[in-house]
Amino acid sequence: MTKEQHKKADNTKNSENGSILDFSPLPDSIIDALESREKHRCFKKEGKQSTPDCNKSSIPGAVTQRSCVYGGARVVLMPITDAVHLVHGPIGCAACTWDIRGSLSSSSKLYKTGFSTNLQEKDIVFGGETKLMDVLLEINRIYHPPAIFVYATCVVGIIGDDLKKVCELAQKKTSTRIIPVQSEGFRSFNKSLGHQLAGDALLDYVIGSSHETTLNHPFTLNIVGEFNVAGDLWGIKPLLEKMGIHVLSTLTGDSRVEEIARSHQAHLNIVQCQKSSNYIARQMEKKYDIPYLKVNFFGIDDTASSLRDIARFFNDHGMLKKTEQLIKEEINKVEDAIKPYHDALKGKKVAVYVGGNKAWSLIRAFEELEMEVIMTGTQNGLPEDYQKIRDTVKEGTLIVDDSPVMELYHLLKKYKPDLVISGAKEKYMALKMGIPFCEFNHDRITSFSGFRGYINFAKNLDQAVSSPVWNYTEKKLKNGRINQFNEVKNAKI
Amino acid sequence: MSAVKVTKRDRNVIINPLVTCQPLGAMFAVAGMSRGLPLVHGSQGCSTFVRYGFSRHFREPSEIAVTSLHEDAAVFGGRRNLISGLGNLAARFTPDLIGVVTTCSSEIIGDDVDGFIKTARQEIKESLGENAAEKIKIVAINTPSFVEHHYRGYDNAIKALVDQVALEPVNCNDKLNIIPGIVNPGDIREIKHIMNMMGQQSIMLTDTSDPFDSPLRPGSTQFKPYYPKGGTSVQELEDCSNSSGTISLCNYGAQAAEVLERKYKVPSAVGPFPIGLQNTDQFLRNVKKFSDAEITDELLDERGLLVDSMADIASRYLFGKTAAIYGDPDMVTGIARFVCELGMTPQLVCSGVENQEFVDDMKEVSKKADGEVEIMYGQDLRSMEVRLEEEPADIIIGHSDGRLIAQDLDIPLVRVGFPVYDRVGYHRVPIVGYRGGINLLDRITNTVLEEYYDPVHWKLQQ
Repeated sequence: MTKEQHKKADNTKNSENGSILDFSPLPDSIIDALESREKHRCFKKEGKQSTPDCNKSSIPGAVTQRSCVYGGARVVLMPITDAVHLVHGPIGCAACTWDIRGSLSSSSKLYKTGFSTNLQEKDIVFGGETKLMDVLLEINRIYHPPAIFVYATCVVGIIGDDLKKVCELAQKKTSTRIIPVQSEGFRSFNKSLGHQLAGDALLDYVIGSSHETTLNHPFTLNIVGEFNVAGDLWGIKPLLEKMGIHVLSTLTGDSRVEEIARSHQAHLNIVQCQKSSNYIARQMEKKYDIPYLKVNFFGIDDTASSLRDIARFFNDHGMLKKTEQLIKEEINKVEDAIKPYHDALKGKKVAVYVGGNKAWSLIRAFEELEMEVIMTGTQNGLPEDYQKIRDTVKEGTLIVDDSPVMELYHLLKKYKPDLVISGAKEKYMALKMGIPFCEFNHDRITSFSGFRGYINFAKNLDQAVSSPVWNYTEKKLKNGRINQFNEVKNAKI
Repeated sequence: MSAVKVTKRDRNVIINPLVTCQPLGAMFAVAGMSRGLPLVHGSQGCSTFVRYGFSRHFREPSEIAVTSLHEDAAVFGGRRNLISGLGNLAARFTPDLIGVVTTCSSEIIGDDVDGFIKTARQEIKESLGENAAEKIKIVAINTPSFVEHHYRGYDNAIKALVDQVALEPVNCNDKLNIIPGIVNPGDIREIKHIMNMMGQQSIMLTDTSDPFDSPLRPGSTQFKPYYPKGGTSVQELEDCSNSSGTISLCNYGAQAAEVLERKYKVPSAVGPFPIGLQNTDQFLRNVKKFSDAEITDELLDERGLLVDSMADIASRYLFGKTAAIYGDPDMVTGIARFVCELGMTPQLVCSGVENQEFVDDMKEVSKKADGEVEIMYGQDLRSMEVRLEEEPADIIIGHSDGRLIAQDLDIPLVRVGFPVYDRVGYHRVPIVGYRGGINLLDRITNTVLEEYYDPVHWKLQQ
């Protein structure tokens, strides 16, 4: 888009239907700055390449929505509930992250405890290895956990602590698993590297480390890339169990170290978050010959076809029959329940901007409610992710990569969605602009997965969009159209 | 009789930290500048997780830029990132002030931040023109994450702002500088209210009240870039050398107060954090010391309302109850003094800072306490939990990070400070000043009533 077009777009005042959005034109300097990012946005068009430029470092000085490699590793591993997650670095890396993941646990709360080596100036000068060793022994003495994950931060990379060596030594002294995670924050602009490093930690140190044989069940699987945010796992697991499947472990939502240690004995891996966890599934296929299926438990159709895929994999007559019956029953229940929400949401325009997987896995779920996804994007997408997005969205959808905050303002203002789906950092910005918002990140408190979760999903969207607060715009007050304020119409003032 | 026991953490590992690193405090300070933006010179996580934390507590957008340091910067230095970062930020956001906040990585690789800023200034001049460039103040703030904690970062930032932006004094402006500390919008508004009642103008260094609690008015909000209303203007910051005095409400504002005193002969007073009766009284005395302000009748009425509430409530429901208090040091000392005024015992106070001033202040407060006070410093929430398991208190006072301890030990938690993310509205309601004292008193009393009084036989206890 040229400067002129930008200006023109900005000057088109949205005066009709009393919209509360009203902006001044963009200054030139901002348009120039936005132009350098033009390749990171595109529209899906038939036959064209239709994926944005991605996996590039952010422009320095931007208010980026991205996180660091440590953050990426942390989100994958932290849901392991009975492990200690020790951050080797200055206090802030642990203090700002120790309890922010909304992953639920059915037993241990240890994963919600913040551990830090609290590196100080003298550790920076003389190295942090001795302190790390002391800390590991202390933790083992107090908690004796089945595993301690030790996360490297930027500082550790710079001062060159030999994390691996210290962990090895400590493991000998404590006889508990002590696992180095080489997640120095600045190793990449893309936290996806952190996801992979977390995967490596599991593959190298946990998966396959228990040889205790599990029950002799004909149909076992691991759910990979499901982190039990707001209890999502608990919307999926019962469905599989009803099909007659035994869930051996989850990587990593509501999991215990021992379960993951035995996960190599499963017949199948199913991958929910394909952004963070395809890597683990691929490696397990190589190493243990476990095939994997990509699944998606957001949305009715995707949940149903995922279950069918799984049943087809096991190819058991009884299971296939049970699955069809289950799907039929569940869909009946869901369709009745979502009817009122469906009516309220039909035709609404949605903008999605998230960390990864949800940028494509949610699209069908919206379409089932006849909502229109006009924009979708991620902070950390890789080329393969954008191909998935391209294959999922309909023509004309805007696809964005690593949009900094001001660009998001710009896009939201220009394309005027009725609803924004994103995380905590974008939430208050969207609301300040007067656009309804629905949380779809760590902070979510309602489970959205599986058939039942889909009812919650529709209900949450309806709550956001239909809230009466959006009727009370000050324009209506200023224009003196008092009769729009029904509540005060008959009041004696 | 009062007695004091002082304990320090006896292990290396920190379990459930009570402090975070310096950059957070600096970002908070810069966010209080009108059209001011922090630029974090470090990894993306350094800004992202802090933005997340601010949004979670204040329920507001929080704009913090970052230079996105990567591996190559660790080897070759962050020169390119910082210079182009400043250039981009200046062009995109045209801010009035940029606070360059260093982190562990940029401090260790030894970037010459001052030098880079000079070069960046030159480049901004060339690209935006002399006039536009002149309007953008760039302040270097050194906040190595591996030294002390967020409160020192706040202190360093306020000092840097004053040191690098305040102009040579001309004429006394008859205003008072107030350094509020890391407090809530409601608290800053209460301080301003008190100053208004005394007819005394003030300069907040810095004023986060409106930026972190702003109205939803899309039609009149500036979005591109997003600048909330309010905050301390650069003009005010330049003018603070002309003030008749500086009052820092916390010990961690002392460096800036000292700079103003040493460089520009602006006299200063540091502390106490004005929570409760005596500390607020002392704050008013400090205001009077540096100005002709009067303690008006209306203000005495407000004081009287607090005393009235204390008379109505404290002796009946709170006397003899014990409290465990944790969090930032000045707030902890302030609240401890207040609970003593209510006839309660601050049985255990816990702060993450390793600071002798905190210990000395608490020893002073403890003289008024009935019963033993345990002062835990350089500690963490785990230490406090262990002590409370051994000797439970009647209530716990602190931020949301202690919620699981409260739940596990079945002791009610009175929420104060930063962060409070599992309840709403706490950032709006002040706990400082006389009116804030009433709020805090009510909050504590209602918690005690909920937990310790029998609803069935309520009338007997009235």
